[in-house]
Amino acid sequence: MEPVRYDDRQEIVSLPLQPAAAKKRRNWKKHLYAALLLLPLLLFIIGFFVVPMLYILYLSFIETKGEAGAIYSIGNYVRFFTDPYYLHSLWLTIKVSLYTVIVSLLLGYPVALTMAKCSPRVRGLLTLLVASPLLISIVVRNFGWYLLLLPNGTVHQLLESLGITQSPPKLLFSETGVVIGLSNAYLPFMILSIATSLYNIDPSLEKAAAILGAGPFRSFVSITLPLSLPGIVSGIVLVFSMSMSAYVTPALMGGANVPMLPMVAYDQIINLLRWTYGSAVSYVLLGITLVIVTVFTRMMERGRYREVFR
Amino acid sequence: MQALANDVEIRGVSKRIGRNVILDGIDLEVKQGELLTLLGPSGCGKTSTLNVIAGFLDIDQGDVFIKGRRMTNVPAYKRGLGMVFQTYSLFPHMTVYENLDFGLSLRKVAKDEKKRRIQTALELVKMTGLENRYPRELSGGQRQRVAIARALVVQPTLLLLDEPLSNLDAKLRHELRAEIKRLQKEVGVTTIFVTHDQEEALSMSDRIVVMNKGKIEQVGTPTEIYAHPRTEFVFQFIGKSNQLEGTVKSLDSRMIRVELADGGQVLVEAENVMGADRSCAAGDAVKLYIRPEKLAIQAAGETPHNNSHAATIVQMNYLGSAWEIEVSLLGKRMQVLRPSVEAGWTIGTEVMVGWNPSDMMIVKK
Repeated sequence: MEPVRYDDRQEIVSLPLQPAAAKKRRNWKKHLYAALLLLPLLLFIIGFFVVPMLYILYLSFIETKGEAGAIYSIGNYVRFFTDPYYLHSLWLTIKVSLYTVIVSLLLGYPVALTMAKCSPRVRGLLTLLVASPLLISIVVRNFGWYLLLLPNGTVHQLLESLGITQSPPKLLFSETGVVIGLSNAYLPFMILSIATSLYNIDPSLEKAAAILGAGPFRSFVSITLPLSLPGIVSGIVLVFSMSMSAYVTPALMGGANVPMLPMVAYDQIINLLRWTYGSAVSYVLLGITLVIVTVFTRMMERGRYREVFR
Repeated sequence: MQALANDVEIRGVSKRIGRNVILDGIDLEVKQGELLTLLGPSGCGKTSTLNVIAGFLDIDQGDVFIKGRRMTNVPAYKRGLGMVFQTYSLFPHMTVYENLDFGLSLRKVAKDEKKRRIQTALELVKMTGLENRYPRELSGGQRQRVAIARALVVQPTLLLLDEPLSNLDAKLRHELRAEIKRLQKEVGVTTIFVTHDQEEALSMSDRIVVMNKGKIEQVGTPTEIYAHPRTEFVFQFIGKSNQLEGTVKSLDSRMIRVELADGGQVLVEAENVMGADRSCAAGDAVKLYIRPEKLAIQAAGETPHNNSHAATIVQMNYLGSAWEIEVSLLGKRMQVLRPSVEAGWTIGTEVMVGWNPSDMMIVKK
């Protein structure tokens, strides 16, 4: 085969003869290089993510694996959706994740707004502060919460001394505890994604609203809030899906009192050695999370403020 | 009180940010119905002055009156003004109609009245039929038209324009320039226009305020500013200029005779002294300024003006609508602008260059 030459003269001569073919060849080459660069990552993902996931999917459709061999059916899924215990666990997972989203949104938005309004130097400092919890292991952070939330721990003593409660509410090993732990863990993701979309708002829009007669509150409600929706939505999606699949925090802060789905799946696989049923539970969790996230983002993108997402 | 005659009065306004003096004792009056331009290079304080009037910038000293009311500490959203920004600043999540509706709804205008006024405003800027478009779906020129309509629909006491044309391409800029001028006269709204483009300022304004380093250099009509600049800065900022240096030889009430470095002499009208005290005396070292189009070129030997000097053509540039001719004159290179050239003129041709003493400006060094 004749080697491909890349001198200018040949380009000029060959172009009028076979322009489409030459272009095609060049495009093909470009794609090949791109594919080569992606190959290591692609192999990694296929080998350590796609294949195991497919294997788990395969397992989830095996009902029993006795001497007679495997029986393939959707029995595991049927069992999940007919057993009140698992349905309750699913509902609990969704509920705790929703609370986590709401808490981190309410706590996070004002912080993001402050970051968007302050000077670049203060903004850098705040970003560091917001991200700093991510530097500490989640296990260590949860044990920190232990000390604060334990019966007769710091928070209880504080509430009592202020006379707010006589018999303190159960914080640790309850849904409240899990929501506190998860909100603390995922707040940075909420703040940073809202802040990013606030940074992108043209500051003159607020001026335009003001000169048209909108006070600070009206300007926030009509301009800033709708325009930060992309950040809010991506923050909600991030925090929600991470909460749905969280294992460590529910295990430490909720324990057996708050059996969220990832714990149930873990239990089935590690403790009860029911691999097939545990796989089905994992896929239910994945499916439900995907459905909720997709429906939610679609609704937002087609709703009243669809223009913001363009 | 005389304050009633002016729509805006600014008295002794100063503003510092850190060590930088942004505004340094600004006094300004804007007459009812006029289009006043704030002109100057970036950082001269023109936008800050506009922001002071709009209520976006707190001031350290001085007072701002709008329609006779003291507005110094009134927040922007209570001033009832209209403003158009450089970046259009249309609300991207609202349609054209909703953008115009925003200010009207805040003013609690009745529904039918709102509809009527939005229609009128859109007709005014020739944007009827695009009510349901989003800003994303409009071109730059269309966006700025909508922005103007949005500012006007609330019937503001003042219209503030912050470099509204500088994001548009040259042709559109020209078109909208005429449009804004027409609109302003049609509506009759007192308008303050900020620009760094001297051509824009000259063509649109009733009066121009030239600013530099936080101070006002000169206030005047476009012709006053162009033909009789009061300071060197104004002369150089507005239009092109040729510069000569020399010493005042003699002067009377009408004419100043200046001797140049190479021994040549030129005449300047005594009225044309620029600078703070607008005076000079015999023996003063001075700078002379003249615009390229005020220089006339004649065939060698003719003396068309009081000031006529032998010169040589060193370069000729064709600009399409005019010729830019560079001549060597009185030991200096000077630019001459004229609509046409004579046959036979070429680089090296000996010519006479002359000018009217009233066209040359003089300032003490």
